[in-house]
Amino acid sequence: MKLRRKLFASKDPYDCGKTQLFFDACKENYDYLITHCDDYKKIATGLGIKSSGDIKRVEDLPVIPTMLMKQHDFKSGRYMIMATSSGTSGKMSHVRFEFGALWAALKMSIKVTRYHGILSMRPCRYIVMGYKPHRSNKTAVAKTAYLTTFLAPAISRRFILKHTKDGYQPDFDSIVEALKKYEKGKAPVRFMGFPSYTFFLFKILEERGLAFNLPKGSKIMLGGGWKQFYREAADKETFYKLAKKTLGVEEENIVEFYGAVEHPILYTACPAHHFHVPVYSNIVIRDPDTLEPLELGQTGLVNLISPLCRATPILSIMTDDLGVLHDGSTCPCGVKSPYLEIIGRVAPDDIKTCAAGAADILKGVKV
Amino acid sequence: MILFDGKTYESSEQDRLLKELEEKIPVILATKKLDPEVVIDAVDKLRIDTISGRFDDLLTEFPKDVAESYKEQAVTLLSPEHLHMKLKTELGDTGEYVTKHIDGFSQIRVKRVPLGVLFHISAGNMDFLPAYSLAEGLLTGNINILKLPSADNGLSLKLIMQLIEYRPELKDFIYVFDTASTDIQGMRKMAELSNAVSVWGSDMAIEAVRGLAPTGVKIIEWGQKLGFCYVSKLAEVPDSISELEGLAKHIATTKQLLCSSCQIIYLDTSDMNEVRAFAQRFLPLLEKAANENATEEIGIRARDTLSAYTRRLKGYLGNEDKSGDVIRGRGVSVIPASDSRLELSPMMCNVLVKPLPRENIGRVLYESRYHLQTAGLICPEEDRKELTDAFIKGGLVRVTKAANMSAYFPGECHDGEYALNRYMRTVNIEE
Repeated sequence: MKLRRKLFASKDPYDCGKTQLFFDACKENYDYLITHCDDYKKIATGLGIKSSGDIKRVEDLPVIPTMLMKQHDFKSGRYMIMATSSGTSGKMSHVRFEFGALWAALKMSIKVTRYHGILSMRPCRYIVMGYKPHRSNKTAVAKTAYLTTFLAPAISRRFILKHTKDGYQPDFDSIVEALKKYEKGKAPVRFMGFPSYTFFLFKILEERGLAFNLPKGSKIMLGGGWKQFYREAADKETFYKLAKKTLGVEEENIVEFYGAVEHPILYTACPAHHFHVPVYSNIVIRDPDTLEPLELGQTGLVNLISPLCRATPILSIMTDDLGVLHDGSTCPCGVKSPYLEIIGRVAPDDIKTCAAGAADILKGVKV
Repeated sequence: MILFDGKTYESSEQDRLLKELEEKIPVILATKKLDPEVVIDAVDKLRIDTISGRFDDLLTEFPKDVAESYKEQAVTLLSPEHLHMKLKTELGDTGEYVTKHIDGFSQIRVKRVPLGVLFHISAGNMDFLPAYSLAEGLLTGNINILKLPSADNGLSLKLIMQLIEYRPELKDFIYVFDTASTDIQGMRKMAELSNAVSVWGSDMAIEAVRGLAPTGVKIIEWGQKLGFCYVSKLAEVPDSISELEGLAKHIATTKQLLCSSCQIIYLDTSDMNEVRAFAQRFLPLLEKAANENATEEIGIRARDTLSAYTRRLKGYLGNEDKSGDVIRGRGVSVIPASDSRLELSPMMCNVLVKPLPRENIGRVLYESRYHLQTAGLICPEEDRKELTDAFIKGGLVRVTKAANMSAYFPGECHDGEYALNRYMRTVNIEE
């Protein structure tokens, strides 16, 4: 995994000159997977991509949907830790990381967060709009939200979702109490977690006529996806306005992350709220009917590619997000790489079919 | 949300309400009777208001053309004429009668009465199914406990509340719960209050119901079938192109999701070359139909593409690799396979084509006997009777034209039985 090391050691996380290195690192990853993961080999063979010679461009790498990873546990060799997706639908995917992947991820996180000014030595207070890690919860969302509380030294951490005997419950009241206290202090406050809960907190504050002016340097960090949030129809402008109104946090201090357990690359929005593609990954938008790669500017399924990990075949995965890849060369932030805009998700997989049910029975009965 | 006695309650009140229901049921059974005319009248009022556009805001979540076709169907299917015909077809027109006198025996009065309490566990794969199932229970005069499917979006409840608004006397016969399928205690309690459980749903749902229902409760199962189309002597079929176009349209519009949907096109041959040639010929027709019937909703198109792709990869992971022969078109595929097994296709306009010489029909159908329902048939007129007979003997309950595999035929039964008939019992009273 020499090429991976080289790629993740890139000094500038948005260096546009690393295309060839990226492609070669992907082929290196492919060569490993095809020899170490039987299931990957079966899929690659089925798709007609039998050796790295069949890969002329990153688009040719076998694409594995996260939908499949939720139904099938892929294993390829030794690993150190395992993360699971949040499993909103009850199904989870398992992603294993080996030491080399974790090391690469760490180097990436440091470079990206430093670039965006999130890595800081100034102690702050964290309010995590998500889960408090608990042994019954192995989801990556809980872990990553928790991990972000180390990007700057923590004075305190509060979690909005509390584990109770009835499962996770949001506890807005205690957050309101904490805000009253923090407003008077000097330490910046950092919010981290689901946009939806953050938005509801804004709404609650607004309804109760509460407005805070949090210390300078306070940030709202949004991760865990805007999952199911699009339907709540809170457009981002409203979100930014409410952040200013209820917490006194300016738009430029709202930092969004995008990522997936199956693609643990840290996408961090630039001041213009664009998720530029870093050197560690590539994004292909695919036609919603044919899965063929689309041009910049067209809406389709989001295919994420990165040679980060080899203990799970997540080299090229298809999310169930719909997005557009925009030309980034004119972004005022200075980064030239294309940026991803998430438009929404595919329709919920609630297709219940009597025909499918029957096939399941057939398998079991084997008449 | 719970609907109980015409009023709505929070889901958390389920336990208390079920206890109350246990007290209420014997009283209602003893003192009340539901006349089908009341149900027919309420449904007719619902129909009139639907046509006049009163519920258009509820239909906005459906694509426009779908909403329109629902409204069109409502005009006839919810009409008093149609419902009267349904009662007559499904329950017969003998009504109440006294048997003829036979020396040495007493005469009896024979009549049909409701089972008592029906517990409906409805599936989410068809819009309006929960309300439909409930309406059948009401038409037969039963007290109905309805568990909504988790995918229900509130539409069923609104429709049912509307029926009660039209005819308040219905309220004693309707109890709707939004219990989760995982709430075994709650479902068991509902089953225990009932004379019969009518379950529509996945294999898991049915298995769970069998497990939790008390011995003695009648279990009425619906669903879980695989459909196919049989093509014989295509060259001799006069309008073969339009028959195939009809089949393609059926596949594209049902997306192969229904019990009656075509999963496999069987050819009356054992020659794989014929199978492949047919697949080549059918592909452009399927592509055209899929294109014409595609929804504009990108989220739905993307989901369907993604789930078909996922199934395809799953196929590679399993041992049955049919990848070599697959013929792909835009958003569709035709998959030739050399075995004759009746199985599920990857769905979403990905259809299997297999050889099945007519002499083997019986054997293949017997192997799949628990899952048979609909066969579409494309063949010369003179072969139609013979093939239909073979299918019926093999266990099928619907033989249709290829284009109409999922069509609704007024007067039709479901999975070989009339629902209303299953929701009633016959009683004998000595004269």
